[in-house]
Amino acid sequence: MRFSAIAWRSLTARPARTLLTGFGVALGVALVAGTLLAADAATRAVSLAAEELYGQADLRVRAFEADGFSAESVAQINALPGVAIAAPLAERRLTLSTQPGPDEAVFTLAAIGVDPAAEAALERPTLASGSPLSADRPNDALVGAGWAAGYGLGIGDELLLDGAKLDMPPLTIVGLLADTGVGAENGGAVILLAGETLNAAFFLPSPVTAVDLAVEEGRMDEVQSGLDRSLTEPFTVETVADAEAAFGRAQAGFSGIAFLLGLVALSAAAFLVANTLTMTLTERTREIGLLRAAGATAGQIRGLVLRQGLALGVVGSLLGLPLGVGVGAVLVTAVASQRAALVTDLRVDPLSLLFAFGLGLAVTVVAGAVPAFEAARVSPLEALHPSGRPSGRLWSRLRWIVVLELAVVAAGFLLYPLDRGAPPVAATLLAVGLLVGGAVATGFVLDPLGRLVGAPFERLFGATGLLGRANLGRDRARTGMSVAALTIALAAVVTLATTAASARGTADRWVSSILPGGHAIRLTVPSSMDALQQTISETPGTKSATPVPQFNVVATVAGEGSEAAVAGIDPSIWQDEGTLIIDADRAGAFEALRGGGAVLVPESFANRTGVATGDLVHLAIPSGPEGDFTVAGVVAYSVPGRNGEGSLLVSLSDARTIFGAELATTWAMVPQPEVGDDAYVQLVADKATQLAGEALTAEQLADQLARSLDRLLGLFDALALLAVVIGGFGIVNTLTLGVAERTREIAVLRAHGMTVGQVEGMVVTEAAIMGTVGGIVAAAAGVAVTGLLVTLAPRDFAAGLVVPWPMVLAVILLGLAVASIAGLYPARLAGNRPVLASLKHFE
Amino acid sequence: MTVILEARDLVKRYPVGDGEVEALSGVSLAVERGEFLAIMGASGSGKSTLLHLLGGLDRPSTGEVVIDGVDISTLNDEQATLTRRDKTGFVFQFFNLIPLLSVRENVALPFLIGGGSAGEHAERVNQLLDMVGLTGKADNAPDQLSAGEQQRVALARALATEPALLLADEPTGNLDYTTGGEILDLLWHSCVQLGQTIVLVTHEARAAAYADRVLVVRDGAILDEIALGRRPDHDPGQLLARLATLGL
Repeated sequence: MRFSAIAWRSLTARPARTLLTGFGVALGVALVAGTLLAADAATRAVSLAAEELYGQADLRVRAFEADGFSAESVAQINALPGVAIAAPLAERRLTLSTQPGPDEAVFTLAAIGVDPAAEAALERPTLASGSPLSADRPNDALVGAGWAAGYGLGIGDELLLDGAKLDMPPLTIVGLLADTGVGAENGGAVILLAGETLNAAFFLPSPVTAVDLAVEEGRMDEVQSGLDRSLTEPFTVETVADAEAAFGRAQAGFSGIAFLLGLVALSAAAFLVANTLTMTLTERTREIGLLRAAGATAGQIRGLVLRQGLALGVVGSLLGLPLGVGVGAVLVTAVASQRAALVTDLRVDPLSLLFAFGLGLAVTVVAGAVPAFEAARVSPLEALHPSGRPSGRLWSRLRWIVVLELAVVAAGFLLYPLDRGAPPVAATLLAVGLLVGGAVATGFVLDPLGRLVGAPFERLFGATGLLGRANLGRDRARTGMSVAALTIALAAVVTLATTAASARGTADRWVSSILPGGHAIRLTVPSSMDALQQTISETPGTKSATPVPQFNVVATVAGEGSEAAVAGIDPSIWQDEGTLIIDADRAGAFEALRGGGAVLVPESFANRTGVATGDLVHLAIPSGPEGDFTVAGVVAYSVPGRNGEGSLLVSLSDARTIFGAELATTWAMVPQPEVGDDAYVQLVADKATQLAGEALTAEQLADQLARSLDRLLGLFDALALLAVVIGGFGIVNTLTLGVAERTREIAVLRAHGMTVGQVEGMVVTEAAIMGTVGGIVAAAAGVAVTGLLVTLAPRDFAAGLVVPWPMVLAVILLGLAVASIAGLYPARLAGNRPVLASLKHFE
Repeated sequence: MTVILEARDLVKRYPVGDGEVEALSGVSLAVERGEFLAIMGASGSGKSTLLHLLGGLDRPSTGEVVIDGVDISTLNDEQATLTRRDKTGFVFQFFNLIPLLSVRENVALPFLIGGGSAGEHAERVNQLLDMVGLTGKADNAPDQLSAGEQQRVALARALATEPALLLADEPTGNLDYTTGGEILDLLWHSCVQLGQTIVLVTHEARAAAYADRVLVVRDGAILDEIALGRRPDHDPGQLLARLATLGL
């Protein structure tokens, strides 16, 4: 046996504690590994989705204007030299229903009309099951597999087209689209059918919005120049890389936030390791004194403790890897089933596992370094005759934990592959810093908060409560570190909940700002504003109905041009009925719009181009109308555009007179004041049905946004709750040691008549107070973190900080519950020690 | 006879509140190789403080401690530790053994600390176990031994490397009369048979009576020095009489 074997024996002498700590590390590493693997699946899904969307096509030629390419343009594209396959795509929104009856369901889907032969030639779409479309069967349809499963639909089911010609037969589902590629469009609510069938079903043809091209080998340049030469209508050209970038932007935050939660869990595990080794050090102080007296150097003592940290790190991290694969699999399955983000099958990526292992090891070794250096600093004399009181001030014992934990988190984040779409580094580091700092602050507020929280326990439980509360102050650093692990996890839960609430508040505000009156009708195809104005305005209960024509332009600022979406709005209606958030004099801005030649720009456009109120923007439809517009103001939110940036807003009059806009898909509906909201919803719905469109309300839109957000955050909550479990382990460890230290003291209490139940209650009360204090600090830290995020990203949180107080209270109660449960085992230990033997116990 | 341990004008002060307390005030002594010295005094007299300084567990505020020619009072922690490893062995009143190690491994601890293994020094370890009468319990855990047996193991460990100096701090303080006597007999045996130099701190006259010479400490200073000589009967009578004249 060698001297270093003392390190391993020390770990095996307390198997329960070592196992709990090792498992805590394993859970932390598992969460990091699992989130990395899920992020890998999301990243690959983005590439796969783009590839599947295009199939064998090389280019997508997209019409610049919303009413699509004319038939002549489509023919020109088809005829271009060098084009091997041309696949036109006609898009519109469809309202469909199942067969009439008690279970009839109505859906609004994004419909894409295709040429089945061209699609087959391009080897797409990717099907989850069933058969592709065929030219021989014009009424076949393909729908998204995930969407269909959500509504209990499958192969063989029929769908009726609402608003179609009377003799239109139903569509039959013959195949289910995989959830990547075209099946991911419109959140999976998509239907593919033969373009001829789509055109035949309605009196108004569906616009061919794009034509996908497979280009012969080596003739790309020829095709590109052919397009420039031949097409008279404005167009853009997109590639697979463009599609991949668009998908990636849509789920950029998912990977980063998931990894961040993994880091939070690992930080909790780090506190657990530091606490465990510190407790081991406390227990073995006299042994350390003996070793030092016998000639063991400070370095040898440091080495013993570091070896223990390393052992815990290696074993825990190794165990965490297979667990991490499991976590990743569960995460991918959950994300896929909830369509929270694009994911593909889990791949066990060795690099991700290696990274998780390395990070776990680094964190635990660093966490073990603090007690190791503490142990080495203790003089042999002090160790041989310990005072029983914790040495050193609280901050001096905790500060190195703070510094080292933040350093490890920062290192982990800086090493994280940022191409997987991490959130802003600085903001995230600050957020994690706040979480860790809040956790560490627990040690400092333990006394005052413990007294406050403990007061009701004393009142309710008498001596049991009093002693439970008093025991908190025994070793504030140790107790503080135990609670810190729980606090950091609870704070993550609060952060998620508060972020969701703030985002929902912002979504509500966003929706109401772009939908004056709170109601709208969305038609399936762009339709003549003049033709429909009277019909729509005559909707019962309507004060005003205004179209919102949308079209694409090239916006030039200071000589730099870029594609932008434009929407025409009625300034008077939007000023009186809407809540558009304008960074300028509101009345003046709308007055300028009414006067003509003015534009409101969305904040994202202003940030990208550097344009400000008073600047000039040149707007032009390629080869078409153009004009100079003065920026009348910057809006926080705007009508969504095709490029996801938000539309530039001009007056409806300018849209008509300068740009010749005649068609609109969306109509904003303002009810008369005396009409009840529920009644008006039905009236608008009836009108929409008449026009084969769909009725929208601000509540519905906000709800849709909230639901997709909730799906994502629900997954993250699950990860955070796993981190809470790690925190619970820390409480078990600390209380178990505390009970061991108080063996004789507990025996004296028992000798004086305290029952087993009262002793157990004392320990559980101590745990409950710890958990409650942790929950309160977590609530403050979590809200502070969200406040920081709101401040750093004001556009994403225009409604400001919204605190879900019931949820915050629930988290505090969760802290109390988890800690109380964690206290049950040490409570049982305390209650069952034999009194006489315990009185003779030498501490 | 060679002087193996020498202390010159040792002073030890401790900060207490805003001031200081002087636990030792100018203590000087010398111990010859093979001598058995006892340091006696009441609780708080400074005897344990003196022992800690002599063994290099603590550093004096002023003064020097020289063990086997090495001035340990100016060494840094690392150097003092290595010197302690080579030149001293300790027996304490309480908690002497490492609970994680077996009896054999506890005896071999000085070798383990020095980088060796228990197996490499098995012969020496067995010899020591035999000396203290615990060969049959070599593989037991400390909690399987009585207090007296644990203290015997501690003594065997302290003698493992044949240190220049063995320092014992109230080794019988936690033992009953008979068991305490067994430990004192072992100490005396190691001194007489093996030539081990021993410094024993005690408040018991019975224990001090085993020594060749007794230093009486009071209030941080040496009050008296009593030469007893090497006596196999260890009769404390002479010592008690002398202590009585000192008012102790």
